[in-house]
Amino acid sequence: MSPATAPPTRDGCRVTAGSVAVAVIAVIAWEIASHLSFVIPEPLDTFLALGRDLGDPRFLAGLRETLLAALAAFVLAMLIGGPAGLGLGLSRRARVVFSPIITMLNGIPKIVLYPVLLPVFHLGYGSKIVMGLLFGLFPVLINTAAGVREIPDVYWRLARSLRATRWQTLTRILLPAIRGPLLTGVRLAVSLSLVGVVLSEFFATERGLGRIVLSAYSSGDYAGMVSTILLLIAISFALSLFLWRLERRVR
Amino acid sequence: MSSPGTGVVLDDVRVEFRSSGRDGPVVAVDGITQEIPAGGFVSVVGPSGCGKSTLLSVIAGLRAATSGSVRINGRTVTGPDRDVGVMFQEDSVLPWKNVTDNVRFPLQIARVPRAGRPRLGPGHRPGRAAARRRIAQRAQEAIDLVGLGGFERRYPAELSGGMRQRVALARTLAMRPSVLLMDEPFAALDQQTRLLLGAEVRRIWGETHQTVLFVTHDISEAILLSQQVWVMSYRPGTILDVVDVDLPADRDASVVSTPRFNALHNRIWERLRTEAMRGFAQENRFPA
Ligand SMILES: Nc1ncnc2c1ncn2[C@@H]1O[C@H](COP(=O)(O)OP(=O)(O)O)[C@@H](O)[C@H]1O
Ligand SMILES: [Mg+2]
Repeated sequence: MSPATAPPTRDGCRVTAGSVAVAVIAVIAWEIASHLSFVIPEPLDTFLALGRDLGDPRFLAGLRETLLAALAAFVLAMLIGGPAGLGLGLSRRARVVFSPIITMLNGIPKIVLYPVLLPVFHLGYGSKIVMGLLFGLFPVLINTAAGVREIPDVYWRLARSLRATRWQTLTRILLPAIRGPLLTGVRLAVSLSLVGVVLSEFFATERGLGRIVLSAYSSGDYAGMVSTILLLIAISFALSLFLWRLERRVR
Repeated sequence: MSSPGTGVVLDDVRVEFRSSGRDGPVVAVDGITQEIPAGGFVSVVGPSGCGKSTLLSVIAGLRAATSGSVRINGRTVTGPDRDVGVMFQEDSVLPWKNVTDNVRFPLQIARVPRAGRPRLGPGHRPGRAAARRRIAQRAQEAIDLVGLGGFERRYPAELSGGMRQRVALARTLAMRPSVLLMDEPFAALDQQTRLLLGAEVRRIWGETHQTVLFVTHDISEAILLSQQVWVMSYRPGTILDVVDVDLPADRDASVVSTPRFNALHNRIWERLRTEAMRGFAQENRFPA
């Protein structure tokens, strides 16, 4: 790994200045747009609504439920998708047997399964976690399998010639060798798990941010609706950005 | 130089590959009965695809021969052995480790877990600290031996192809194997770097007295480095000729301009030329 911190450079300053400029322009455009259509709340109202919501225990409980469900979905996606991807990458026979069904399952719009999940996993955490899992699983599985298959054959011969144990080969060659694709899978799984959870909350649930967005919409509280959506985007964006930076740092 | 039974002994080694084509199995290597005395330096030359890597992987214990046997220092090869170091044709330096960690890698792998040893409590593991020091010291010796001193903290991506092959060599040498198998280690490098690294290998061999099998398709490299050259044929890969290199032991690159070097070169080239043409005809299904 390279040293974690690089000294601030002129380039870095310029990038930051650029980002700030883009943000300012976006807010101005938003302000103008809000005057053209009553559905679009003003930026100030939106930020006030966010402040109001973040002080509301019911909102915080919803935020907590959504994030917990997404976390559970993500962890399950890693626990299932990681080993399954390893198996698929390592075994030609497993690929022959499972590749078609995985491609097919990955291809269907997963949300159509939600009505099927509801009676099985119930309206609480169960169904949305499973939906988040369905969204997060495939990027982990597919990236891990592809990563394993791209490991140069000579690494396996190296491991064998050194008489490395299976465990040593797994932890000291295989896992480091697929660190890139694995991190890509993690990054996609994090945001897609959240997408899966929120999407199922839009359809049917008792609590959660998706539900809050929907009820804000029905009651015409557009500022509350937009601020909640922005909060979701910000959370997802921050996580992705962090993981993306991590990804770029690995060799 | 050696007592009988030591070194590398090949006895009628044959390797077939089942091919998907209609021609039946491909015989990659056939009827190879040869010997490298302990401490000897032998090169194998032959056209590409003639079975050099296959032969090497059989000696390394990475592939079983279809028939015949290999004995190393008196023991029949049944699988990989840490006393036999392999340097592969492909770039096998691990990109996520710096030079030092790459060279330490085999030593760390070889440190078998000492099961059933009583724990003396946390932090009280004199054995571990000593082992770590030994590994660090051995790796540093190998790094210095191949001239990588000063590059310890560099990552492979920051090194040239020649430097990366030095890392691979150091990694192989760190285990102090008594037999060194090198599969076209410098084939991907430019001519100057190849000459330089060849000279390094010969110098190191002069210091370590390992038994070396060096695979190459470069005739000059084979003559410059080794005591004996095996000339291999194409499909089936058999040994066509065994050429003893009767050049001075302390030779350097200037030896290429001597008449003796030229005579050896011509002899090997004549063998390979007819072989290469036969192989070309066979590949392209011309009437040979
Ligand atoms: N795993 C394999 N399966 C089938 N054929 C192989 C395999 N490995 C090598 N061969 C064939 O055996 C022959 C010798 O290959 P190789 O030992 O790699 O040659 P060289 O190292 O001299 O270039 C080639 O004709 C090659 O196509
Ligand atoms: Mg080869």
